[in-house]
Amino acid sequence: MVALAILSSGSADAETTIDDPARRTRETKLDNGLTILTLQDRTTPVVSFQLWVRVGSRDEERVTGLAHLFEHMMFKGSKNIPPEQHARIIQARGGRSNAYTTNDVTVYVTDVTSEVLPLVIALEAERIANLDISDDTLTREREVVLEERRMRTDDRPSGLAREALYALTYQAHPYRRPVIGWRSDIENVTVEDCREFFGRYYVPNNMVIVVVGNFDEEAALAQIRDSFGRLPSGPEILRSSTREPPQRGVRRAEIHFDLRGPLLAAAWHAPPSGHADSEALDVVSEILSGGRSSRVYRRLIYDEQIALAAQGVYSELADSGIFVAYASVRPGASVDRTEELLLQEIARLRDEPVTAAELAKAKRRLEVSMVHQLVSNKALANRIGYDVTVLGGIRPLEDRLASIEAVTIEDVRRVAQTYLEDDGRSIVHVIPPPEPDPSPEGAS
Amino acid sequence: MTWFLSGVALMLLAVLGCAVPQSVPIWEQPPPAVADEPAVVGDALHRYELDNGLAIIVLEDHRLPRVSLGIRLRRGAASVERERAGLAGLSASLMKRGAGDLDALGLASAIDEMGSALHVNADWDSVTAQVWGLTRDLDRLLEILADVVLRPRFASEEAVRTRGEILASLERAQLEPDYLERRFAMDALYPKHRAGLPLAGELESVARLDEVAARGFHSRFFVPNDAVFFASGNVDAEDLLAQVGRAFGAWAAAELPGPGPSMPAPTPTSRRIILVDRPDLAQARITVAQDGISRTDPERIAAALMNSVIGGSGFSSRMMSRLRADAGLTYGVSSGFSMRRGGGIFSASTATRASEARRVLDLVLAELDRARRQPPTGPELEVARALAVGNFALALETSDAVLGALVDLEVYGLPEDALDTYRSRVRATTTADTARAASQLLHPERAAIVLVGPADQLLPQLEGLGPIEVVHP
Repeated sequence: MVALAILSSGSADAETTIDDPARRTRETKLDNGLTILTLQDRTTPVVSFQLWVRVGSRDEERVTGLAHLFEHMMFKGSKNIPPEQHARIIQARGGRSNAYTTNDVTVYVTDVTSEVLPLVIALEAERIANLDISDDTLTREREVVLEERRMRTDDRPSGLAREALYALTYQAHPYRRPVIGWRSDIENVTVEDCREFFGRYYVPNNMVIVVVGNFDEEAALAQIRDSFGRLPSGPEILRSSTREPPQRGVRRAEIHFDLRGPLLAAAWHAPPSGHADSEALDVVSEILSGGRSSRVYRRLIYDEQIALAAQGVYSELADSGIFVAYASVRPGASVDRTEELLLQEIARLRDEPVTAAELAKAKRRLEVSMVHQLVSNKALANRIGYDVTVLGGIRPLEDRLASIEAVTIEDVRRVAQTYLEDDGRSIVHVIPPPEPDPSPEGAS
Repeated sequence: MTWFLSGVALMLLAVLGCAVPQSVPIWEQPPPAVADEPAVVGDALHRYELDNGLAIIVLEDHRLPRVSLGIRLRRGAASVERERAGLAGLSASLMKRGAGDLDALGLASAIDEMGSALHVNADWDSVTAQVWGLTRDLDRLLEILADVVLRPRFASEEAVRTRGEILASLERAQLEPDYLERRFAMDALYPKHRAGLPLAGELESVARLDEVAARGFHSRFFVPNDAVFFASGNVDAEDLLAQVGRAFGAWAAAELPGPGPSMPAPTPTSRRIILVDRPDLAQARITVAQDGISRTDPERIAAALMNSVIGGSGFSSRMMSRLRADAGLTYGVSSGFSMRRGGGIFSASTATRASEARRVLDLVLAELDRARRQPPTGPELEVARALAVGNFALALETSDAVLGALVDLEVYGLPEDALDTYRSRVRATTTADTARAASQLLHPERAAIVLVGPADQLLPQLEGLGPIEVVHP
């Protein structure tokens, strides 16, 4: 049992204890290098099965977007399963299957009622062992991904801002590339690219299976051993050793898009996942924009009424993290003034100590959010999968809570001074295109 | 709340498992039998009613030291006339901006200091005020909830500020494709009616609202005999009942507000096509919308299963197969019924590269037409039923979700046991039922069709479809 620290001056009359279910996770390692994490919870009749692959956009060398496009191809059939049938077979048993790709990992998520788990394991093993990539399916799926890119990035101001922000912030590290890839790369991916990618990264020593929920642990492990255990392990995967050099000066980009209220995006370099300063940066995020009493909410939205939404949040990434701030500027308001106000709030964190009450509030919000993350199998499986795939082991809740509790007022100032320097920022403005100059004839 | 597989069900599974030859791959074997346990097992669920008519539902779940509590009204934005569209939303937002002894920032600080969250939201059929937090803060959370529901301040300066935010959001939305397609589709279906405007209202209606109107909404609609108190989490129901009695017992019962304007028959008697010009977009957003059914319509399960087959089930749906898997024309396409108390809407939506807009629109319309001519087959319906039953279990994984579903039944006056009978009602639905639903409920020939995208590329493609109304937002 873990005791939550008593932080607020409110009803601090009882100590709250919670049992971190992740402590009961059983880790099994197969000879071929596959890691299996199982956690039984018989409370509800459902189970979450997740396959985590240590490959994301950071691993792409020649073709951007390949990790993401490949995630789509995993649903396009294998030796014994026709294209499109993987998801349909699971749906026909009442389950849900989906997948996502990030800068660091690719994750396949299947949620089913307990009875269906053996089918899920069999289907997952089948596509890993016998994936069938054809020109025909690639041609159609490439078009689907291009549509996804149009929808999420090309036609969406926030997507354009994010793409530009990462490209500005990371000039050396592969995080500069969009996860979905550049259009020309998506258009030119070949079957051979996909096969080579699959052979290199989709090997058992580069994968983690997480099963959380109501299931027979021994039976599941036996089935996984019997199916995934037959897969040959692959050679050691060499990762990019590129690290981002220090940023010496502000970087800016401006994007023109037909919108009524501008968007502001800003970013600073931050430490990677699991770094000792992570919790202090989480506290900074809370003080800046956690709740309606936070600094950014009060200044930009409530007092100045210049933005409709605004936040500053530390994002963990495996190699090199990022601290991102966004503001949705009111129609007619100045994006430059919004930036000025946002930077003033960042500067305050560097220049002045935060109050003890602000620190306590931030810690409390972080603690409670961790409790909320324990409510579902899927959320637990996500936490276990991320920690093991990216950090090599589960971060015990107790340790995370202790690290949060240990953050001091001086720590907040120190990490703000270390990471949120004025010279280290990258800024993107998404604004309406300039009005065309009236021609001499038109002006008459 | 606890779910357990019954021993009988496990035995049945074992028997079925033994009956299948091992040489048949598991994905070709019949789906395993699913055990239907009640949504709530044991004595976790408690229902009460205060003398003032306030219904109370408590679902105990002692696994984590957290609690969620709230009040949900049985009336919402649909009960307000068109001229004051947005009033329910403004009132709900204002209730978060000061209550009891606390002004807006004081209330925000009180919530944030507990690491909690406070939401007050209006939807078409209800208004919900809800707080989440740790059980150790239960007393304070309940106190704040009572202040927000019973003693909101409706301060003038906060009304000006909140209205300004809503107006700025609406102004910003005027060029957003999602907003535009919904806005013009609803306006085409229900012109001059409240249902024809967005939930948040429109610029003109919101500009007319103030704290006096919000206070009026609150006093008219926030009556205990039209509300449900709900709580889930690590609480003792009997203790909580006593606390709720102290917090809400003096809340005076009052005459119930009227149901508001009922949804009329949709106006278009023939197809109406609206093209909203967004010259800079790469994609065309396409929506086909028509009238649907109410949340309490006896046909709702047949309608939902029929929709699952045509466009509501992602990769298993006909539309997704045709548009995405077969043709690579879209990232996603979906259809669905939005069921409200007084009626509802059915719509199918997708997005594609501008050059393929006509082809995609034709395919969507063809699938809607085909649904009537070739209604769901036995195997298609079987998948839809399995999906509905399986998703039911997945959707009710947490006690918050179970409680939310139970409160929903209360709000719509549906039977208390509707969750437990849901799966058997799904399984009892036949192809005749879904065929009837398709033939009675789908009317693509009199739908409102909205396309948002570059008119110079889209307009030439739409030739032959009838008159096109072009709008430049």
